[in-house]
Amino acid sequence: MNQINLSFDIYHLWEVCGGQLILIAAGLVLIFADMLLLDKDDETRGQCLGWLTVFIFAATLGHIVYRQWDLHDIVFMNVFSADKFSIFISVIMVFSGLLASLMSIGYLRNNQLLRGEYYILLVYAVAGAIGLVQSVDLLMMFITLEIMSLAVYALVAFIKDSPFSQEGALKYFLLGSFGSALFLFGVALLYGLTGTVNITMIAQSLSIGMYQKLPVILAFAMILCGFFFKMAMVPFHMWTPDAYEGAPSVVTGFMATAVKAAAFGVFIKVLFVTFTPILSSSGQPDYASTINLSALNPYWQPVLWWVALLSMFFGNLLAATQTNIKRLLAYSSIAHAGYMAVGVLAANEEGRTGVLFYLFVYTLMNIGAFGVIYLLDGVERNAQSLEDYRGIGYRYPSLAFALSLFLVAMAGLPPTAGFIAKFYVFSAAIKEGYYLLVALGVLTSVIGAYYYLKVIYMMYMKEEVRQVVRGAVAAPTIVALLVAALGVLYLGVLPEPLASIAHVAQQSLAMIF
Amino acid sequence: MNDPILTYVTFLPLLGVLFILAIPQKSETGKNVIRGVALSASIFTFLASLRIYGAFDGSITGFQLVEDHTWIGSYGIHYKLGIDGLSLWLVLLTTFLAPLTILSTWRAIDKHVKEFQVSLLVLETAMIGTFVAIDLFLFYVFWELMLIPMYLIIGVWGGERRIYAAVKFFLYTAVGSLLMLVSIIGLVYFHNDHAGQITFDLLQLYGTPMPRTYEILFFAAFALAFAIKVPMFPLHTWLPDAHVEAPTAGSVILAGILLKMGTYGFFRFAMPLFPHGSDYFAPLIITLSVIGIIYGALVAMVQPDIKKLVAYSSVSHLGYCMLGLYVLTRQGVEGSVLQMINHGISTGALFLLVGIIYERRHTRLIKEYGGIARIVPVYSTIFLIVTLSSIGFPTTNGFIGEFLILLGAFKVNKLAAVLAATGVILGAVYMLWMVQRVFYGKVTNSSNLNLRDLNLREMAYMIPLLVLIFWIGLFPNFFLNKMHTSVDHFISQVKVEQVKDKSHVAAADTISLTAAFASLAKEYKE
Repeated sequence: MNQINLSFDIYHLWEVCGGQLILIAAGLVLIFADMLLLDKDDETRGQCLGWLTVFIFAATLGHIVYRQWDLHDIVFMNVFSADKFSIFISVIMVFSGLLASLMSIGYLRNNQLLRGEYYILLVYAVAGAIGLVQSVDLLMMFITLEIMSLAVYALVAFIKDSPFSQEGALKYFLLGSFGSALFLFGVALLYGLTGTVNITMIAQSLSIGMYQKLPVILAFAMILCGFFFKMAMVPFHMWTPDAYEGAPSVVTGFMATAVKAAAFGVFIKVLFVTFTPILSSSGQPDYASTINLSALNPYWQPVLWWVALLSMFFGNLLAATQTNIKRLLAYSSIAHAGYMAVGVLAANEEGRTGVLFYLFVYTLMNIGAFGVIYLLDGVERNAQSLEDYRGIGYRYPSLAFALSLFLVAMAGLPPTAGFIAKFYVFSAAIKEGYYLLVALGVLTSVIGAYYYLKVIYMMYMKEEVRQVVRGAVAAPTIVALLVAALGVLYLGVLPEPLASIAHVAQQSLAMIF
Repeated sequence: MNDPILTYVTFLPLLGVLFILAIPQKSETGKNVIRGVALSASIFTFLASLRIYGAFDGSITGFQLVEDHTWIGSYGIHYKLGIDGLSLWLVLLTTFLAPLTILSTWRAIDKHVKEFQVSLLVLETAMIGTFVAIDLFLFYVFWELMLIPMYLIIGVWGGERRIYAAVKFFLYTAVGSLLMLVSIIGLVYFHNDHAGQITFDLLQLYGTPMPRTYEILFFAAFALAFAIKVPMFPLHTWLPDAHVEAPTAGSVILAGILLKMGTYGFFRFAMPLFPHGSDYFAPLIITLSVIGIIYGALVAMVQPDIKKLVAYSSVSHLGYCMLGLYVLTRQGVEGSVLQMINHGISTGALFLLVGIIYERRHTRLIKEYGGIARIVPVYSTIFLIVTLSSIGFPTTNGFIGEFLILLGAFKVNKLAAVLAATGVILGAVYMLWMVQRVFYGKVTNSSNLNLRDLNLREMAYMIPLLVLIFWIGLFPNFFLNKMHTSVDHFISQVKVEQVKDKSHVAAADTISLTAAFASLAKEYKE
């Protein structure tokens, strides 16, 4: 164990939390920019704020990738750590924010929704999310979780005149608070038992034989439930369809990817640092020798087994019955969370690598799909039922092709990245002998293929009944869609570079201390 | 060999796709240009594939023209291509049928021509890739790649109930192939436990030792995927729907090539990878094949629709292929391989012929025709020749294939051979009866009086098929010569030592399978 350095050092802070700091400062800049631009017309203001946000995210992405990746697992005041795992997840979230802000420029204009706080909320949501995955302190985890969640609640409610948006946000807020409360209760229990909120120090305290005591298991269970809420897994998924349907389409894409990535990141981190620490070949925590490393496995593995199976099963089954494309994708995102949970359950290097890869790919295909959905939504924001997609394949061939590509990727068919991602997580689980779960999982993905294809046949095989006029296609949206589409294809053919980065990233989980 | 010829052949159709995407299809000229580009891409592919034939040496065991590049290193996945005596002919069949198919759609497909030709060419790449890939992961990628284009071809350009048929086709295939993927990964990890190396290379995975129970389970998953594709009774129900609803081109590809992937999968993967599992299921598979032969023929007999009749005849014909594979004698297996090619040619030709008449009259019901031999003599003659080939008339290709299979089967399993032989008779009954009702007798329907005979374009794609029918029928050794070593090698891989006391093994299998399910249940409990 390193000496805990509690002295405040501004340079150290910048080194570890650079990404967050940029975003927080930029959020303030955006507030001022919004005020300065108040006398301008909406068009100019929207363009300025939008491109400013894009620039902010691009700068943050650059900073994280080029300055923080090579840091060697330093910890700031025992609260934040800059390890490769957190940084990988941060990259996913900032990337998601970048694509979302590119699309938002067109989205807000098409829907006359421009208010400055949109971009500010987006920036703070990402700042909170980065803080969340960087935390090594359960209390800071809670605070950053709330920063992220509050920003996202507000974004969901952003369409003021839509009752769906309000309803979704309220449900999300109430159930989300419930999840946060469970998490906080678990943290309190652990603090009472161990006297610390630092995840590695808790692991050390627990290693002295306390692992299987009932309060520990209770605390563990509560923390898991809190995360399951945020990850939108069955049976904690009830908020998902309403929130996803009501939210502005671009926000749906963002929250389905960035929030999910953050929740999965922190879930994996807490799981494999505190409760089932993993050994690395190089840097072993010195308490590793005394710890009963897998003492808690019999407690969480069956739970996750069931949660993963139920998420895959109900997510896909309910999605197949949906007639609204956003609800359909909401249920499918539950199913995807189930697939990723299979990778976590495998609890091996391949599994964690697979989950990281999956999260990245999922970001590309999901944001891409919601980007197309907002364009096809039409000016009246009402073309979301599957019937409205009839014949679109010939009216808007490129948009329909893009949507088909993203859906095929979600269905997990080669040569798209979705196939490789599923392959990674499933093969990791098979390696650990989870044949039954994987067999059931792939069978549920056949249900998945059925409803993704349903959208495709609506677009290509049915005559159109009502002419949907799509909204104006803004240039930045095209850029974002192109990036997503090319990414899905590129990673489907050459997944190795990203997978090896993900592999390195997950190794650093063994070195957080 | 430095020249990556298999890669050329596989990806040449995709090159055509790139050109096609750039051509607008608003005008009639644009459509014709698209068709022309697609046709020439497929012809170039065929010419290139002739070079494979030239470079292939029939006396060498194992794969030839191998190309091997690392693809996903951390999982030992390679881009590895190669061919042997079986895939050589299947690749040639694919590249041969593709231009004929495209030629046949010249007038039939007038809606969304660009999308159609792109689907067709992507499908061709996927099909060739499936036959030449000898890395399991790569094979799986090509295998799944076929799904979407075929789904679109049936679903967009098909008949009345096209969406139902397309979705059914897709879901059937997906269920089988996803379980196969699970088995592939399981096999790879067993190999890893044994050899300490993760690889998807087929050659290294052959002969991986593993517990008998897992071998049986894995074989079952592979067999399910391939049996659906073949299709074997009782998994065949997607086939009549898909065939009837698909446009002519789709049916030709489906019958000519896609079904062969099932039998090819058994030959290349399921049987040699899991010989014990194959041995365990052999009685079941032989039984189902024989049932398929007779059942397919009986159902075909009562079909009022010519296309559906041909579709059910496929179930019967593919039953022969499976039977031939499973008798594990040289004659049987070679007959089976030859029968795969025969079926591709004669059933492909039948579907093309049905398509031609459907284009003119927009009906495929037998009772709508009658006595048309006098009105369209050339068409009728060709139809008759193809029919004879399909029912295995001597001097045509069908005879050689069926004869070899029955000969092989007779040595091993007399009962199966006798029952299968009745399928030959039934085949003659349903085909000739249909021909009689459609072509001979009096002209009963006056709308047939003005039926046009074949035009030049239609002749152009029928004649090569007729040439092949007689070529294989008269000089089968030209084709068999290149197969001998591969087939012998296959048999040596698959044959397991016969255990004297079968009942003992069966009891042990029951016990160990129970144990396997118990362990799966344990995973579930944990």
